[in-house]
Amino acid sequence: MDMEFIRNLQGWGYVSMIFFLTIGFYIYIYYLYKSQKGGKKDYEKYSDMALNDDIDDTLVEGKHPQENKKDNEER
Amino acid sequence: MFHWLEKNPFFFAVGVFLVIAYAGIVTILPDFMESARPLKGTKPYTVLQLAGRQVYIRNGCNTCHSQLIRPFKSETDRYGKYSLSGEYAYDRPFLWGSRRIGPDLHRVGNYRTTDWHENHMLNPQAVVPGSIMPKYGFMFKKSADLKTAYAEAYTVKKVFDVPYNQPGMPKLGTYDQAKKAAFIQAGKIVAGMKNQGVKDAYKNGDIKEIVALIAYLNGLK
Amino acid sequence: MQSSNAINYDYTVAKYFTVSAIVLGIVGMSVGVIIAFQLAFPELNNFFGEYGTFGRLRPIHTDGVAFGFTVSGIMATWYYIGQRVLKVSMAESKFLMFIGKLQFWLYIIVVAVAVVSLLMGETSSKEYAEFEWPVDIGIVIVWVLWGVSIFGLIGIRREKVLYISVWYYIATFLGVAMLYVFNNMEVPTYFVSGMGDWFHSVSMYAGSNDAMVQWWYGHNAVAFVFTVPIIAMIYYFLPKESGQPIFSYKLSLLSFWGLMFVYLWAGGHHLLYSTVPDWVQTMASIFSIILILPSWGSAINILLTMKGEWGQLKDNPLIKFYVLASTFYMLSTLEGPIQAIKSVNALAHFTDWIPGHVHDGTLGWVGFMIIGGIFHMAPRMFKREIFSKKLVEAQFWLQTTGIVMYFTSMWIAGITQGMMWRATDQYGNLAYSFIDTVEVLHPYWTLRAVGGSFYLIGVFMWAYNIYKTATSSKAIEKEPQYASPMA
Repeated sequence: MDMEFIRNLQGWGYVSMIFFLTIGFYIYIYYLYKSQKGGKKDYEKYSDMALNDDIDDTLVEGKHPQENKKDNEER
Repeated sequence: MFHWLEKNPFFFAVGVFLVIAYAGIVTILPDFMESARPLKGTKPYTVLQLAGRQVYIRNGCNTCHSQLIRPFKSETDRYGKYSLSGEYAYDRPFLWGSRRIGPDLHRVGNYRTTDWHENHMLNPQAVVPGSIMPKYGFMFKKSADLKTAYAEAYTVKKVFDVPYNQPGMPKLGTYDQAKKAAFIQAGKIVAGMKNQGVKDAYKNGDIKEIVALIAYLNGLK
Repeated sequence: MQSSNAINYDYTVAKYFTVSAIVLGIVGMSVGVIIAFQLAFPELNNFFGEYGTFGRLRPIHTDGVAFGFTVSGIMATWYYIGQRVLKVSMAESKFLMFIGKLQFWLYIIVVAVAVVSLLMGETSSKEYAEFEWPVDIGIVIVWVLWGVSIFGLIGIRREKVLYISVWYYIATFLGVAMLYVFNNMEVPTYFVSGMGDWFHSVSMYAGSNDAMVQWWYGHNAVAFVFTVPIIAMIYYFLPKESGQPIFSYKLSLLSFWGLMFVYLWAGGHHLLYSTVPDWVQTMASIFSIILILPSWGSAINILLTMKGEWGQLKDNPLIKFYVLASTFYMLSTLEGPIQAIKSVNALAHFTDWIPGHVHDGTLGWVGFMIIGGIFHMAPRMFKREIFSKKLVEAQFWLQTTGIVMYFTSMWIAGITQGMMWRATDQYGNLAYSFIDTVEVLHPYWTLRAVGGSFYLIGVFMWAYNIYKTATSSKAIEKEPQYASPMA
């Protein structure tokens, strides 16, 4: 393996990683807004985690499904 | 897939780590070998110079003085030839600094003398009116730590293959040999100094910090 | 629902770190004020021999505020926010309580050793990583304990989804761990050679490589100590204090990933026109500009959270702290990229414009968030009203004045000196000797030191207010949901 080859490898690695991450990032944006719109997942309600943070407050998304605020109240 | 990541702290952490680690790998690794190569003619520090370099570091000289001449005419006019990567090959740590409260010192050995340093370190304001540098009288009283300097030279030779003892390079040898060499080098500097305390100490087999520091500064070229 | 009426949040460790944030804040900033005056009045250097010079004290200031004040603030808020957004109490796990306390006391020991060793001159000289290897080992242990605490608390959480602040705390933990370990790779010389100072070590990297690793660290230590955890704080404290949900939670997630990815590339902008490879410099410059996007994404999100509620800014001094903090965050995340443009950097590098930039970030953004955050926590931790609203107001205005004095004088000083260094006369010779460019800075350095003193006085007012809140303020029966009660 000569230096040239390693350099090429690094170059390709760099470009493809940037490409991959950029695509991933845009898919993430798309996913966030799609799932909000489609009603699959309400990301905005996660703000409540700071506002209603008493230890007895309703959980936004409990570890067990029956604790979920979504299941209990919304739908 | 994304939501799954948001509630699995372990995989979330792995994801974050990959994203943040990536940049370091791409920027630091590719030229690592090349950047470590010394310039032809660059020599490792002698034990006395290393002792002086340690004095420089211990007193945070690098918080005010840079050692990096940028390739601008205004800088090369003021400080000399711009710095090259290979010149720093034996600098562990690098001492480029981040703020020039005082002038750059990368080539100070070219235009300042032992005598100038002696006067200036004792009372900077007497040499440069308006200077804001602290007085470093204590360096004329404290002894240079040759043992730690030798320990450092020995370590970099052993661990990083720094070419001591090779033709045209500084000799290291055993501690006693290195000490002897340091005394010879220090003798030349002490001969150029006026301070009686430093001269007496040298006669009694003691090298003061100021001597080591001047040896280091004179070697910056 | 859990029937967990008996359980309450346990703020013991948060209180410990609150105390250390206040104490180390006073120590670190006092040293900062001293060295600021030393630049204006150099005789001040000579009082304590080698222990009182600028070069010895400066690392104690920088490390003191970064790893003393700020890290204490990060820990205090983590041990507060962490419990609340995960809806689990430290009291529910004896193990985590033990880890938390152990972390605190070890931290205090490490800080003490670090301060003494720096005063003695035991330094690696690398900025914000000056500590020698024994201190480094201590720091790593403290950090690992914090990791145990974070993931332990997450492990027993009730709320399944991690709130955005927790994301940022996790990132802080991982980022600092990675950066710190790699930048502090060093070989203790005593163990190789068997002689000399056993504290002494030598860096694993040399020259340009050492510089690259150092500024990859130095820049991103700013990211993961001064930015990421502070965003964690504001995403909790501002919504909670104002009662407003985050303007767009989705935007906060996107900014998170953006910041995580982009920040790490920008470190090379500290090395423009140096001897590191040219492509590294260019890339760092470009990524620094891109960095505006995720930074402003967070900042705008935070400001828009206050949409329609700006009246609170008038009535609630804590909201003032938070809003001004995010404004300063916007300012310094715009200023930084500007300085990273190569031609601007040619002028700004090595001048006072750089510390000026650092301080409008640290004083305005970091300091205000920690101060404001602890003000918010105090009534809930101590079950008492904040002792004096008037004092909070006075502190806010005094510190704001101090910051403005600080950065304006440093901007002028930096640009003045940068221009003088490159100025030439009609024949093309340098117009000024170096000392000319130092003497001209005297008034600005004086102004800066006074501005810093104002800020420090504000910190004393904060300390007094918190002390009175904890001891003798009016008790409150029920925990306030939003705005903090103050007398």
